[in-house]
Amino acid sequence: MIHWRFGTAALLTATLAGIVAFIAATPLFAQETVKLELWSRQDPSGPLRPGNVVKAAERLNKELEAEGSPKRVEVAVRESPAKGFDDDALQLLKVFGIGEGPDIFIAAHEWVCAFHEDGFVLKLDDYIAKYPQHFGTIFPSLWSSAKCPDGTYAIPQDAEARMFFYNKKLLREAGYDAAFIDAMPERTLSGDLTMDEVLDIAKQVVDKTKAQYGVLHRPNKGPDYIMVFNAYGNDFVDPQSGKLLLERDKLAAAFGWFERGVKDGVIPANNTAMEFDALRKEFYTGNAAFWMYGIWDLGSVAFPTYGLPQDEKAFFADWGWIAGPAPEKGGAPVSLTHPIVYAIAADTKEPELAVRLIGHASAADLNTDHAVTTTHLGIKPEQLEDKRYADAWPLARATEMLKITKFLPNNSQFGELNGIIFAGIQGIESGRLTAEQAADFVVEEASSTLEDVIVK
Amino acid sequence: MIERRGHAGSATRRRANSVIFLGPAIVLTVLFFVVPVIIDIAVSFTDLSRSLRITEFTTEQYEKVFRTDRRLSQVIGLTFIYVFGTLAIFNVTFGLILAITTTAIRNVSGSFFRGVWLLPRMSPSVLYILLWLWAVSPTEAGLVNQVLMQVFGLDAPLDLLTSAPIALIIISNGFIGASMGMIIFTAAIRGIPEHLFHAAAVDGAGTFATIRFITLPALRWPISFVTIYQTLSLLVSFEYILLLTKGGPFYDTTVYALYVYRRAFESGQYGYGAALALFLIVIGVVVALIGWRFFDMERLLQRPRIEVQ
Repeated sequence: MIHWRFGTAALLTATLAGIVAFIAATPLFAQETVKLELWSRQDPSGPLRPGNVVKAAERLNKELEAEGSPKRVEVAVRESPAKGFDDDALQLLKVFGIGEGPDIFIAAHEWVCAFHEDGFVLKLDDYIAKYPQHFGTIFPSLWSSAKCPDGTYAIPQDAEARMFFYNKKLLREAGYDAAFIDAMPERTLSGDLTMDEVLDIAKQVVDKTKAQYGVLHRPNKGPDYIMVFNAYGNDFVDPQSGKLLLERDKLAAAFGWFERGVKDGVIPANNTAMEFDALRKEFYTGNAAFWMYGIWDLGSVAFPTYGLPQDEKAFFADWGWIAGPAPEKGGAPVSLTHPIVYAIAADTKEPELAVRLIGHASAADLNTDHAVTTTHLGIKPEQLEDKRYADAWPLARATEMLKITKFLPNNSQFGELNGIIFAGIQGIESGRLTAEQAADFVVEEASSTLEDVIVK
Repeated sequence: MIERRGHAGSATRRRANSVIFLGPAIVLTVLFFVVPVIIDIAVSFTDLSRSLRITEFTTEQYEKVFRTDRRLSQVIGLTFIYVFGTLAIFNVTFGLILAITTTAIRNVSGSFFRGVWLLPRMSPSVLYILLWLWAVSPTEAGLVNQVLMQVFGLDAPLDLLTSAPIALIIISNGFIGASMGMIIFTAAIRGIPEHLFHAAAVDGAGTFATIRFITLPALRWPISFVTIYQTLSLLVSFEYILLLTKGGPFYDTTVYALYVYRRAFESGQYGYGAALALFLIVIGVVVALIGWRFFDMERLLQRPRIEVQ
């Protein structure tokens, strides 16, 4: 029999060595991948909304490594093909309803409280206070778009400004001189240029030039036309109770503007039946005087698709924009901003990591990437110092409008109310309703289908 | 035949036969009619809304249907116009005209024209409606406007989607619906014994007299069947309307079935949609029963009096 003199010792040593090696390697074996699912609408006007979250994962992982944490984050993007943020929100509510919700989602701010009402979204106040390095400098005004009555439920991702773009060439052809045309933005901000004057100018263009249309607006449910309602004093929310508020006469006044527009042959009767791209084409190829839309349309469509001049001076030679004018002389002009927000699911297993991930996605440089490529406004003052941001003149110019800007109400039923308002506009433009009837329609329809609506 | 083999086993055999022959139909009816109806009734008594959650059982949806929904009367009126308009103009009358004319001409050309009229039914609905959208496009590029402007010298293009949406949904559905009547009527006309036509000719009957006294009486059952079947299918189908007009402008072309869809899926009011849908089911059953009685369909399904062997 072979007898090893040091057998036992050798075995013991080998075992010990194995244990030591194993312990040393433990972090490697124990590295845990946390998969966070991000729900995002396929949206060419903001590909970096999800894109920045994916990039943020790299930064967060480095940070986790430095902390010695075994966790690593991986982002899986789930894209929804919804046509707009409203459809997308309705879809996502169903997805949450059957328990298949993502960890993080991107939504239009006015929907956040609908998610909150059903308990799908995480309250963020404590996290926001805990990570001032990520969220501390976000513009205070933007936070109001992320709040529901009892707290903050989202992180603002961007902002923009909505306006009436106008075609200066057509206005000149219609007989307006350069001084008049260039003074329009100022006159609007001072409350001198009114909503009805926009219709008058548009009518001159339709009558005196080859252009077919005076004012065009989006063909589907969305935020821009709410600007007109804001101008006529509709705020849609009772400031005391936070409930939806409908003021019949103010609604009728706003609908009256659309009614006059159609009667004058300025707004086409089939505006809501046209395709989005067709409407843009009519405006950017010089067949319409005004286009009620938002600043990001320059970066995502006007420059790349229709070749509008990207140089500031060249652009303003033939094109311009005004805020939403006041209803009558001396009144207040309006603009509307419609922040998109990041929100985190209430049932995510890793709320902390999800918050930190969104924190990194909200970094000034990443947000500026989004802002300058799609002409959206940034969320932090640091971005203003970024040369790229400063060079993107549409952003600087549009920022002027933030002084008069309003938000859509963060009421969980506003999305549905907006659908009813849109039906009212469609009814007026197609000649089915008068402005008065449209106001009654909205009041009746909202009172019968929505809850807790205050009617005045 | 069965009786001759004696009574032993015939009862079992009969039972087996009924299972074999009726089984699949019963299973399908239960799965795709009875079960959905039960689910629909259950959902209509809940507050199921946009996040698919039920928090209470309630009769609130029915209160809405009867008390607060002001669109409903308009929607029901429109549905009536749409169903009977499409049925009367296209699915029965035009189908009949097509069947009579295409069987009266030479077989080859008759088949050709029937083939042409089948095309809309064969093309995918999205494609079919895309063609319609182009045809009625409110610009100068639309087919209808090209014809009207270039041939008839119209000044400005027409916007039919805004000015005549109800006519458009009737015509676009009718072009598809006519082909079903056409095929069934053609088969029935082919089945009329040839000698009857010869006899009529000998007796001096003209075209219209032949149609009235020979063709139409022979088409009684097919016409009854097509009427009932198409009424039911028009009541519940809305995909062409959704694609062509989206139910608009405003609510002008929102028929009942589309209204249910808009309420349930566009506004997320599933409970309310279910309550509305229940009435559609009831209306469907009632229409079917009335049709059954009115057209005396029972006689069609009676055992033949003469045994044809």
